[in-house]
Amino acid sequence: MPREAEPSLNEKQFILQALQENLRLDGRQLDQYRPLELTFGDEYGVAQVSLGKTKVFAKASAEVTVPYTDRPLDGVFTIMTELSPMASPAFEVNRPNETEVLLSRLLEKTVRRSGALDTESLCLVAGQKCWSVRVDVHVLSHDGNVIDASCLAVVAALRHFRKSDTSMEGGVLTVYTPAEREPVPLGWLHSPFCVTWSFFGDEGETAVLDATRAEEQIRVGSCTISLNRHGEICQIAKLGGTPVEAVALLQCTSLALTKVKEFSTVLDRKLAEDSKRRDKSGRAAELTAENDR
Amino acid sequence: MATAPLLVLPGDTIDPSLIPTHRKQPLRLGPGLRHIPPSEIVPTVAGQLVVDPKKNSMWVEYNGGRYIPSTHDLVIGQVHRSAADLYYVNLSPYTANAALPHLAFEGATKKTRPQLLPGALIYARVTLANRHMDPELECVSSTTGKAEGLGPLTGGMAFDVSLGLARRLLMARNREEGRVEVLELLGAEGLAFETAVGRNGRVWVGSESTKTIVLVGRALKETDEGDLTVEQQRKLVKRLVKQLR
Amino acid sequence: MPLDTSAYSLALLRVDGRRWNELRRIHAQIRTQAAADGSSYFEMGHTKVMCVVNGPSEPGPRRGGTAAAAPGGGQSKDAEVAVSIVVAGFSSVDRKRVGRGDKRILELQSTISSALTASLHTHLYPHSTINISLHVLSQDGSLLAALINAATLACVDAGIPMTDYVAACTAGSTSTYAANDESADPLLDLNHQEEQELPGLTVATLGDSDRVAVLVCESRVQVGRLEGMLAVGVDGCKQVREILDRVVREKGRRMLQEGTVEKGVGLDEMDMD
Repeated sequence: MPREAEPSLNEKQFILQALQENLRLDGRQLDQYRPLELTFGDEYGVAQVSLGKTKVFAKASAEVTVPYTDRPLDGVFTIMTELSPMASPAFEVNRPNETEVLLSRLLEKTVRRSGALDTESLCLVAGQKCWSVRVDVHVLSHDGNVIDASCLAVVAALRHFRKSDTSMEGGVLTVYTPAEREPVPLGWLHSPFCVTWSFFGDEGETAVLDATRAEEQIRVGSCTISLNRHGEICQIAKLGGTPVEAVALLQCTSLALTKVKEFSTVLDRKLAEDSKRRDKSGRAAELTAENDR
Repeated sequence: MATAPLLVLPGDTIDPSLIPTHRKQPLRLGPGLRHIPPSEIVPTVAGQLVVDPKKNSMWVEYNGGRYIPSTHDLVIGQVHRSAADLYYVNLSPYTANAALPHLAFEGATKKTRPQLLPGALIYARVTLANRHMDPELECVSSTTGKAEGLGPLTGGMAFDVSLGLARRLLMARNREEGRVEVLELLGAEGLAFETAVGRNGRVWVGSESTKTIVLVGRALKETDEGDLTVEQQRKLVKRLVKQLR
Repeated sequence: MPLDTSAYSLALLRVDGRRWNELRRIHAQIRTQAAADGSSYFEMGHTKVMCVVNGPSEPGPRRGGTAAAAPGGGQSKDAEVAVSIVVAGFSSVDRKRVGRGDKRILELQSTISSALTASLHTHLYPHSTINISLHVLSQDGSLLAALINAATLACVDAGIPMTDYVAACTAGSTSTYAANDESADPLLDLNHQEEQELPGLTVATLGDSDRVAVLVCESRVQVGRLEGMLAVGVDGCKQVREILDRVVREKGRRMLQEGTVEKGVGLDEMDMD
């Protein structure tokens, strides 16, 4: 496996020097994100997020399976992450490295364990049939801050996703095709987003948002905070690295909350735009009336 | 060269009338062309075929892709490690290292050679490049024994640009032929900085002021990514300089 | 599934009879294994872990045969801290085998390695590896904190220069994420039962400063709760640091009195109930 290419000594010194003077190479503020783009595919549940040159693709899908025996009333929900050589030659297929393990753990904790998706609503027949929802995350291009971009892509894909409508009549489960009945959205409880701070300097005194790849390679520590717009922390992960003052971490958390609210607004707006685009003829209004039965 | 640019694809046959003939100088093939004996010349990359009858040379211009070393190119390399009598230098990420002998510096002897740490940047010329061997570099002119601006780069910052922009920056008349004026414009605005352009798509910028380096880097990046014309570059420089002040 | 801890508000006592700011009994020993460069045994209530440190030594052959990349390559000359965690099958109530590729364990390993790298003077040992092997004997909450403390002690025993102790403990809050009640108390040092029901976080600080090396929160909690929990956690870390320091000093004193203390002595004093 090739090692990740390291930046040269000149670059390392310069980036640190510039950060001390509150400058970043792309002219951003220390707490400014790169331009965020969020697009949805033609299919339901396809979302692509790009933050500068970082691009992440997420696809949600669902199928009917048997629930786990220890949780007969819950559906199955999995998030699969893939960091392929497409993003960087340092990644290998089918051999997860540390970046990938930490990414998938973070998404797991942020989205799955925080109960963003109502897994009980995925249950069809207790102990026998349930929906299995799966999100595949592919990092298409890696220029730093994959975590925040992936989390946004996962949440966007799940909220955009529609699963086939079902009905239970006399013990017979029917799954309708999209032609028969309009697919229905997932039971969604809250939208968590990740905000990753990178720390620089001997005592980690400079905190920076949305680090690029080069900045990530020379940072002394990082802290990923997941929140939703209601101010609930879903997860905090400062996994080692240079120690940072506790007070600074609290400040980071409150700043992260404002960023999360921004993400939340962007996502809501994009979802509304997308549903308007799909619903040109106003068909959805008729069909929702049908679903009320 | 007044005619429309001639685009070639790998493996195309080149019209013999295009191949320059010169009585005294031998024909010189630049990057992207390969000579298959006895008398066939085949492009190996897709790009624009450029012929220079005066120098009796021809080559293919292309943008993008990975840098493929060819002799006499000026490159910015990153020292990977030091071996017994040479440095292994990385020209582009994830490729085989080039070799830079310890003694290929100006006035270098066993005792006075520069000590370069892994990760240091050097400005060097490619002396040997062929398909089956690792390239070799030098930081001194083998004819004059002078550095001629080559050697270790201290301080400053290296920016990655596309291969096309690096080539255009290196042209002798970069304004007319290469359509890049951004560095001159920045200099005319009173910014003090020095640059070194590597054909491998790296530009080193040095200056006393961090802000200047950041600004030059951004100007280069935006020129490159937006493929700006000279007029647009002027506007860009005006805008950036205004932000600085 | 959730057990009832609402009794707390009646007597302000937790399920195991502690008050909100009390640590569980902490018992620690160093130099327990004769065969290792450094070793420790750490108990935090019923969470019991052992740690063995070997090195700094030359890196052995890597998995996957990528040893070729190692010699002299790259810019990093610092020692690498390699952590491996073995969770014994009998350590928790359900005897589940934890696979080697378990992502939770990998994350713990990476966290401990990264936290200790920042404290150890790794630049003194270029191109070498410090192997830290942790064994979980019994789990009752605060696992990451116990692992970090054990690893710190073992590194002290191995004589690897370090800036200061990395001491860790957990903190929680009596309110659930939904309830926004202002009267909720922060809690120090969660046991397994509390960890299951209440929001909590793991903090590790460097020495007796307020600088946080590790902060892991895996449960939903109101952002307003964080400050209180963090303050209690940092305070708990200082208490833990005192205890760790006492253990090391005590051992040092004995070594001075008795000449050298042979490695492995004192193992029989271990409380393995």
